[in-house]
Amino acid sequence: MNTTVIELTAEKPQPAVPSAKLLKPLTGAEALMQALVEEGVETIFGYPGGAIMPVYDALYDYQDRLNHILVRHEQGAAHAAEGYARVTGRAGVCLVTSGPGATNLVTGIADALIDSTPMVCLVGQVAMKLLGTDAFQETDVIGVTMPITKWNYQITSADEIPEIIAKAFYLAQSGRPGPVVIDITKNAQVELMTKSFHYKKCERVSTYRPRLIPKQDQVEKAAELINKAKKPYMLVGHGVLISKAEKELLAFVEKTGIPVATTLLGQSALSDDHPLYTGWLGMHGNYGSNVMTNQCDLLIGIGMRFDDRVTGNAELFARQAKVVHIEIDPAEIDKVIKADAPVIGDVKEVLNRLMPLVNENDHTAWRNEFRKYDDIEEEKVTQPALAPTTEKIKMAEAINLLSKKTNGEAVMVADVGQHQMMTSAYYEFKKPHSLVTSGGLGTMGFALPAAFGAKVGDPSREVIAIIGDGCFQMTLQELGTIAQNKLPVKIIILNNNYLGMVRQWQQLFFERRYSFVELQNPDFITIAKGFGIVGHTCAKREDLSASLDTLLASETPYLLEIIVEQEENVFPMVPAGTSVADIRLE
Amino acid sequence: MNTYTICIFTENTIGLLNRITIIFTRRRINIESLTVSETERMGVSRFTIVIKHDSREAVEKLVRQIRKIIEVMAVFGYLNDEIVSNEIALFKIATPLGSKPLDIEYINKNFNAWVVYWQLDYVVIEKTGSEKQIFEFFSYIKPHGILEFVRSGRVAVGKTEKGLVEYLPEYEWEYYL
Repeated sequence: MNTTVIELTAEKPQPAVPSAKLLKPLTGAEALMQALVEEGVETIFGYPGGAIMPVYDALYDYQDRLNHILVRHEQGAAHAAEGYARVTGRAGVCLVTSGPGATNLVTGIADALIDSTPMVCLVGQVAMKLLGTDAFQETDVIGVTMPITKWNYQITSADEIPEIIAKAFYLAQSGRPGPVVIDITKNAQVELMTKSFHYKKCERVSTYRPRLIPKQDQVEKAAELINKAKKPYMLVGHGVLISKAEKELLAFVEKTGIPVATTLLGQSALSDDHPLYTGWLGMHGNYGSNVMTNQCDLLIGIGMRFDDRVTGNAELFARQAKVVHIEIDPAEIDKVIKADAPVIGDVKEVLNRLMPLVNENDHTAWRNEFRKYDDIEEEKVTQPALAPTTEKIKMAEAINLLSKKTNGEAVMVADVGQHQMMTSAYYEFKKPHSLVTSGGLGTMGFALPAAFGAKVGDPSREVIAIIGDGCFQMTLQELGTIAQNKLPVKIIILNNNYLGMVRQWQQLFFERRYSFVELQNPDFITIAKGFGIVGHTCAKREDLSASLDTLLASETPYLLEIIVEQEENVFPMVPAGTSVADIRLE
Repeated sequence: MNTYTICIFTENTIGLLNRITIIFTRRRINIESLTVSETERMGVSRFTIVIKHDSREAVEKLVRQIRKIIEVMAVFGYLNDEIVSNEIALFKIATPLGSKPLDIEYINKNFNAWVVYWQLDYVVIEKTGSEKQIFEFFSYIKPHGILEFVRSGRVAVGKTEKGLVEYLPEYEWEYYL
């Protein structure tokens, strides 16, 4: 009953293997390999198993064209694919077996969906005639992943492979990107195609039409509000980076003179040292950046979705302001915050069309209104954090020093918790696509695999993972992947022997009843050594600088454990469910 | 609480019903009735889903989420006064020897219902109409002894002049007729 929905282009396929060989019928597994090559895939993160073995057998002959990285757990493959996608903008690819192989991907898939990360997961499945029989390692992967994928599909015959793989990559990478799961039954992997292999990249799906070019009237209405505003304020999200619109953003900001804040995932879209950059938004964002959302007269949300960690209590958020919402996904408009002027389209296309319509402006006086909050934050939060009198090192000073030593140019891969917030707050990002972190889902254990995924994606950049002692123990098996593939990822564990963020909440909101947050940790350096990764522990402030130098100078993967203040809290903080105006500094 | 009728045009593929209903489940919206069948265009299915909700805004958000499904072509949401709708119901009525006779003519005239099948001990009566009309007939026929009763769920067309399929993205459609 399936209808053909892919419009194929007339473009000639360029086979990577001699065309004579392609004239012979390929098996499904060979077709899959060939399709990946034609799609331009370079790296696969995967783990073999029963129902995917025909594909792994075909991969044996494709090792020169497809770089397969054997992870230690499928969750690692998913996060690595995310890390890869976040620095390259191309879909990360996972290859796993059926049943547990597939279910182990689930956390990563959910993470990729909520953070709009392109990913294609190729999953083995039992043979078609065994479907529904509770066969060995059979799980209803289509059913399981339905709510957490942009699209999923079960391939049951070899002939479907080229077309479906092309569609998978197109859907994962176009519009608002997201994860796609392709479940491939074993018979489809082993059987021969009944037609010759023919690959055409998918460029259009008839039932799916993401709007890239905005409607002109929407752009004009937004421009009118922007030109009229006395106190406009721009909130920049992940969409700007996905759209690769950093240059357009910079030009727009400099022409209009509008102060800019970023969301957590929008970090690095504008250089942190830009005079119009006010800081970042959200539960642990900057004081002024948060408070001013409730004082501006126009809020321009761009490539962002007004997450509750950004708005606090949404009913008390920016009530005084008109809202321009620039977004590619129409379902985000009015979802949380009502937009007076929605503009649906790709951020880059929207900015290009807004540019000629907006007036040159200078909002220095308004920008300066942020300064008083900056000064208070500097005095109450930043200074004490950066020049501490505590015996132990503080997270903030470690990140700040790292920022200086790397000139703000590294790719920071932050895990989830206090160290993540500290990385966002104290690393001064100078280059775009430099913060890779699990924003929407808050997946502990994300950073270690995402870091080597990012390193594979862009080997030219220094990739530094900032990980808490709790997070590290969720995916530390991936040290094996890093060692085996000699991926020079720099790993910093900020060890406070606590699940720090939960402890902070228990301290502030649960009367210091520290319920199961204290960790008896292993010797991380010995563990790393066991995997063949060198490292050392830094426990004293006077050793910090030299320790970071050692880490950065290493040409091999390196683990630096920094023992930090045990009960350090992250401030500013907008307590959950309150207004951003109720932000706490201590 | 208002009743909303949501019409969804989709590709006719495996698993789509599931993909659509989980969007309702996640928002804790109960489905009052649901019908699906292929339209006059080959490979295009039409879902008619009836829900009750007190917030129009929530229903609009729901509709936008359904639109995001790749295989979904178009989604329309309606209040009751914006559509012409009907249901079909089948009643299996006991007619044992000596029971109160069924007045078929009266049923025809007053309820616009028809006997579509009969056996010695029972008849099957078909009744089309609104939910209200069907339940009116239900009350009338109940004393005769209802052995089995089923409603189809709502089918509906919008009151706008244009047919909804006209709003679908252009495509090389194949028609059944």
